[in-house]
Amino acid sequence: YPLFQPGGPQLRIFRPDFYMVLVRPGVPQPEDTAQFRVSMEMTKLDIRNYLEKIYKVPVVAVRTRIQHGAHNRRNHKNQRIKKPDYKVAYVQLGQGQTFQFPNLFPEKEQTPETRSFDEFRKKYFEKELQRQRGDPRRGGVPDWFGL
Amino acid sequence: MAAPRGWRLARQGRCWLSQAEFSAAPTPPDSLYPPIVASATAKSKAAKRRRLEHFYQRVHEAASIEEKLRLYGLLQRPKYMVYPQTFAINADRWYQSFTKTVFVPGLPPRAAPEPAGAAEPGGAVTGPGPAVPEPAGAAEPAGAAVAPQPAAEAAPDVDLDELRSLACDALLQESFYQNKKRPFLYRDQDHTPGPFLTQLVSLLAASLCRRNPLLAASSLDLNPEVNYYWHHGEEVIAHGHRKGRVDPVRFQIDDHPRLQIRVPKQLPEIVPLEADLGNVPVIDHKPSKLPLFKKQYENKVFIGSKVADPCCYGHTQFHLFPDKLKRQRFLNVNLEDQIEVTYRANGIASLFAWTAAQAMYQGFWSEADVTRPFVSQAVVTDGKYFAFFCYQLNTLALTVETIRNNPRKNICWGTESKPLYDVVEDGDVKGFNDEILLQLVQFLLNRPKEL
Repeated sequence: YPLFQPGGPQLRIFRPDFYMVLVRPGVPQPEDTAQFRVSMEMTKLDIRNYLEKIYKVPVVAVRTRIQHGAHNRRNHKNQRIKKPDYKVAYVQLGQGQTFQFPNLFPEKEQTPETRSFDEFRKKYFEKELQRQRGDPRRGGVPDWFGL
Repeated sequence: MAAPRGWRLARQGRCWLSQAEFSAAPTPPDSLYPPIVASATAKSKAAKRRRLEHFYQRVHEAASIEEKLRLYGLLQRPKYMVYPQTFAINADRWYQSFTKTVFVPGLPPRAAPEPAGAAEPGGAVTGPGPAVPEPAGAAEPAGAAVAPQPAAEAAPDVDLDELRSLACDALLQESFYQNKKRPFLYRDQDHTPGPFLTQLVSLLAASLCRRNPLLAASSLDLNPEVNYYWHHGEEVIAHGHRKGRVDPVRFQIDDHPRLQIRVPKQLPEIVPLEADLGNVPVIDHKPSKLPLFKKQYENKVFIGSKVADPCCYGHTQFHLFPDKLKRQRFLNVNLEDQIEVTYRANGIASLFAWTAAQAMYQGFWSEADVTRPFVSQAVVTDGKYFAFFCYQLNTLALTVETIRNNPRKNICWGTESKPLYDVVEDGDVKGFNDEILLQLVQFLLNRPKEL
């Protein structure tokens, strides 16, 4: 890049190495609010600039909070396991935009073909399992030894 | 001894539940047995209902207004603090839903004024501000000064030149002639616009006293405090020792207007009590999403003076925006549409708190709804731009039970913000706007019809 002089155009691009995850809100949020999980070191200004400069999203207000990860799970050695802390950002969008988190796993509509295909697939897998199970009269004992 | 003393203290703390108060149920004359009512102390819904009814009866039968207010705000719980001067996005819609207020753009038409024979100077300035609200509820903006009125609405016969010179004098004194040091950081509003507003209102009120006898009997407060506490809606408590219970949502407004005029007689109503001029915006989300925060402190209801003061009705409030809500700040972050939102939110919240507190001073509360509408006015400004608001309180019943069959809505009329002057330079005020001054004068001259 050409050497930057004060007052000149900012030609340098600084790529941040943190990322933001758009999540479904646990409690219902207003229509113009999107909820993100962001890195703990990000500030409100960082979040605003990130969205406005990289994704061209008009941001009106950003509010953040730090969610404490639970520290009362126990592993097999009875040691306490901590879930990591994370920062949550509530971003209010500008210019009257609204955002609703989409339903990522919609119910498939059951046409007769899909239904019959699902039943066919179920029967096939059952047959495979049956073949691998072995003789039921042996009571689960493997058949690679003995009579 | 410790044991009897502890028993006595516990008894004093819970003396409101004594059987003596509950056993005053009236016996029907033709029965020998006492009436069968729900228990007062059981852990049941009927008992809870009976305790609630008993509390309502205590408030209804309170000996004085002070006692009624004390009982109304007796129980302290975490409540949302509603700030009239806020930078929250779309705060005016949220505040409308909290206070069941319909917002009507433009000001209501004044009642037919006394016949002022002479044509007012500058005939183009006919009835600025007041616009005719159509039955559908959508009123024209106040800027349309050419709204033809059926009864020829003449401006009050005041000497506009004299008042204009007073206003310009106040402005020049504060911003040009007086030698002030540089304002402290973020104290620009207290440096010039604050004193200018105080001087302007004092001068105008003093010179209009002879026209409006109500102003002569009024009380002008400087930096008063206005508080109101109310319940609206219900929520389930999320965490704490009261988790899972259904509680009313509590709100408190603590407002500090710059100036306030209180009068001994009430302003006349603008529309009838049961008028329906629009819809109240319904917001399904919790108030904390605005964002609004909870705190627990004293539940205060106050209009600016105590109950015994004869000037117990409100006339006009004057609000000045702090530095945080200056116009330039919104323009810097491309939020031009939120500028008007701040004016509206301030008008609605402040006036609701003031009129509702006035109604409580007359003995009305959510279980005893108002029988006559309470009207007040407000001027919200940031030193240069002025916005005018009129509020009519028709109902105080905003709790879950009382709002169910209550068709009444509170109404707020308001204008957009317009500049009073363009710029002050070299001892001269450029671009003075007479409409704003006339609207201010009309506000100050507003009085009941008998006077």
